[in-house]
Amino acid sequence: MKREFSLLEWLTVLVLAVIAIVIVPCLNAFTPETSALHISDFTVNLWGKYFCYGTVAVTVDLLWGYTGLLSLGQRLFFALGGYMMGMYLMRMIGSLGQYHQPIPDFLVFLGWTRLPTFWQPFSSFPFAMLMVIALPGLLSFVFGFLAFRSRIRGVYFSILTQALTYAATLLFFRNNILMGGNNGFTDFKYILGYDLRHAATQRGLYIASAVFLLIVYLGCKRLTQTKLGKVQRAIRDSENRVLFSGYAAANFKLFIFVFASAVAGIAGALYVPQVGIINPSEMDTVTSLETVVWVAVGGRGTLVGPIIGAIFVNALKSWATRAYPDYWPIILGGMFLLVVLFLPRGLVGLAEHCVNIFKKMRKAPQEPQPAPAPDAEPAAVNHAPAK
Amino acid sequence: MTMSVFSRGFHGIRQGVAALLLLFAATLSVTAQQESPATRQMLSKAITAEGDDQISAVTALANTHSDLVRRVLTAWPLDEVFIIDAADGSKVPCMLEDAQDADGKQKAVRIDTGGFLNDASGKPQAFFANDLTSVDTDMRLRRAIQDTLDLMALSDPSADARKSAVKKIGMLQKLSYVPVLQARLTQETDGDVRTAIAQAVATMQLKDPNPAVQIAAIQKLGEISSMDCRDVIQTVITNPKSSGDEVAAAKKALALIDAHIARVNFFGTIFRGLSYGSILLVVAIGLAITFGLMGVINMAHGELIAVGAYTCYVVENIFGSGLPLSPFGFSMRLPGLNFSGWMFQTYFLFAIPLAFLMSALVGIVLEVCVIRFLYRRPLESLLATWGVSLILQQLFHLVFGAANVQVNSPVWLSGNFTVHDVTLGYNRLFVIAFAALIVFATWLLLTKTPLGLLIRAVMQNRNMAACMGVRTERVNMLTFAFGSGLAGLAGAFLSQIGNVGPSLGQNYIVDCFMTVVVGGVGNLFGTVYSALGIGVVDEILQQVFGSPVVGKITILVCIIVFLQWRPSGLFATKGRGLEG
Repeated sequence: MKREFSLLEWLTVLVLAVIAIVIVPCLNAFTPETSALHISDFTVNLWGKYFCYGTVAVTVDLLWGYTGLLSLGQRLFFALGGYMMGMYLMRMIGSLGQYHQPIPDFLVFLGWTRLPTFWQPFSSFPFAMLMVIALPGLLSFVFGFLAFRSRIRGVYFSILTQALTYAATLLFFRNNILMGGNNGFTDFKYILGYDLRHAATQRGLYIASAVFLLIVYLGCKRLTQTKLGKVQRAIRDSENRVLFSGYAAANFKLFIFVFASAVAGIAGALYVPQVGIINPSEMDTVTSLETVVWVAVGGRGTLVGPIIGAIFVNALKSWATRAYPDYWPIILGGMFLLVVLFLPRGLVGLAEHCVNIFKKMRKAPQEPQPAPAPDAEPAAVNHAPAK
Repeated sequence: MTMSVFSRGFHGIRQGVAALLLLFAATLSVTAQQESPATRQMLSKAITAEGDDQISAVTALANTHSDLVRRVLTAWPLDEVFIIDAADGSKVPCMLEDAQDADGKQKAVRIDTGGFLNDASGKPQAFFANDLTSVDTDMRLRRAIQDTLDLMALSDPSADARKSAVKKIGMLQKLSYVPVLQARLTQETDGDVRTAIAQAVATMQLKDPNPAVQIAAIQKLGEISSMDCRDVIQTVITNPKSSGDEVAAAKKALALIDAHIARVNFFGTIFRGLSYGSILLVVAIGLAITFGLMGVINMAHGELIAVGAYTCYVVENIFGSGLPLSPFGFSMRLPGLNFSGWMFQTYFLFAIPLAFLMSALVGIVLEVCVIRFLYRRPLESLLATWGVSLILQQLFHLVFGAANVQVNSPVWLSGNFTVHDVTLGYNRLFVIAFAALIVFATWLLLTKTPLGLLIRAVMQNRNMAACMGVRTERVNMLTFAFGSGLAGLAGAFLSQIGNVGPSLGQNYIVDCFMTVVVGGVGNLFGTVYSALGIGVVDEILQQVFGSPVVGKITILVCIIVFLQWRPSGLFATKGRGLEG
């Protein structure tokens, strides 16, 4: 598994990063709208969202593909980060809301005249950013500590994370926790003094999302190559052997779980100002499962896979929900079914497979081997028992 | 158990038929004119009189016990009693016949004689209702009419009607009615109504000028511990004119009543908890088989429940007037059998096995096409079945529409009865009984049949069973079909309790998994205990917090904490395997 970064990989990452972080924003900002090279604000905004999705997908993969913990609640942490950011953005609306009161509209609507205590520090951006990391981190720490301590693993862990997410969704739907209830937070105006409706602000957020994704990608790449990464994979493959070798598997798992949650929280915080709304449906159990679909489709156990999967599935969704709104869930479900049954390693696995076939085809004339064709066809059958 | 369920069913049908006959008889009696002329005279005098005379005339009608009086008094405040100038110049109180002629006119029936109002030539005259002047009513008159109707209802043949009339009269707190009620008490035979009368009399006597009578009445109310009287007694305490003795007696009575309310709430909560637990049990027992015994995480279990519920819906409509469907843009119509009456009511008896079969069928398809390949990869079976669940949900959406549909419960499942103020709904009792039946049947199947033996063998050691010549694949398929069929049964019951929609199953899936995990995977009776336990605790928490959502959140947190203490559930299957 010790695969160093090859030169080719470095180059690819570099080129893609330059395109996403430098070229796209430049094309958006400096070309006239009529130009063929122009990239619209809408597209930039869309890709900003995709990058946030990609980031949260990487965290799911870090847990599922690398540690064997299928978390069905990753979008909960994403949404919590988003909510913390949302609280700051709500404070920045100031008196510009519909009721022209110094407190958020929904609080006025609920009959509040002054700001509840726990809302007060959120006027400060650094505090809000701290909470973006701290709240998901704390929740995942408590939950993870309890779960890993009592050796809840496998599907039980998945079911429990789903239950946690379900409980949290129910909680956030309530009005009296003063987090906006059903409607959540919306109508944001300013972030750090910049107007959110300006294309330049959105471009900045886009760049931030892309840079953050790049950092997370490179960081995770590094992480998985350290000793910790090895223990991580060892836990995935056989937790008991790791335990017998004297490693405290629970602590490793807890670290990865908290790390993944905090990263998901930051991704959520970047996501919210770009879409302009955060509400409890964002943390619904279905969204978490959808995120798992992205990882499965892209290819788990690789770090590019989740990013490709997130972008591919979401681009498909953008198109399909407009073209065939009635059939989108069937397409999604069907795609998922096919990937799980026939492509356990997702699109990345498929690509590698194709490359292998291609190499064999080139070799074939030189060494007369048994025909490569049968290998290509029953891919599913070959891969299924491999795990 | 089956017997009792069925006999209740037939009993209910008989009641339904009886009710229909009664209705028929009532329709006949409208046309029958057997009222005594004296009653008719009193009635028409009451209608034509003015002011206080009119009110006393109306009140006097209470003693007539006549059906005509009841009908006229009911129609009066609705502006359906008219005064018409007859051909000879006299003013005649009339009601219009229900039947309309070709022009939309209705013939007038004279209240004083019962015959039609004739014109000069002796033919029945017809009128437009809008052209006529109805007899005016003011607030006082309407109240008098209502009181009279209530007094008349005291002699109603139906015990329920008598009881509610007694309660209404009691709340008026008019001392003048005490003798009326006491007179009624001597004739009354129904126990419930007698209690109600005693309570009403005591309530009225609270207004008695004699303090001794009042205190006795308060004590009486405390003994009866009726929840309706709580407010009345409260007013005695807060009333500054009450004497010390009265307040003391009232406080004592209030304490009794509060204790009674607490008891009723407690048993009501337990009952609701048991019935919710039974629903959970019915919903989760299928999952206990597929997840607990086979180790397959079936996220589409909720949709199998919905299959059962929709089967019920389709069967109901086929028994009724048919069902128009437009799947994928095609429009089609399932023909209906147009049954009515008890024939229609039996639809549920057909729907139950069909729901089982349909879900089992879907389960078999699911097993053969998807799950078969994933037995060794539980996490992936979770994901694949989630894909299936998405597809199925959308199919329901496309076939049956996005809106929830309503399944009408058969008559014998709607309604309730009350034991000591605790309301027990038939459908909830039915769910409890059926849950018990299903658990029993499942237990029988698993322990007493050859198939059960094979199932257990395969679950314990698949390879060994295969070596012994067990066709494990077939056993798997049958087990999965059985688990799915049980989900279908659950759906049939959920359709009786609430509406049926594409996301019906989603509402239960998390609870389902929790139930099975808490109960201990691989143990059927663990599921029983955990379902009933979660149901009761959930209802209690809802009572305590006064909000279903907070209750639910608390219970989810409790479950997470509980698993700290018992990671493998209440009843863990003990094994020596490391990976368990």
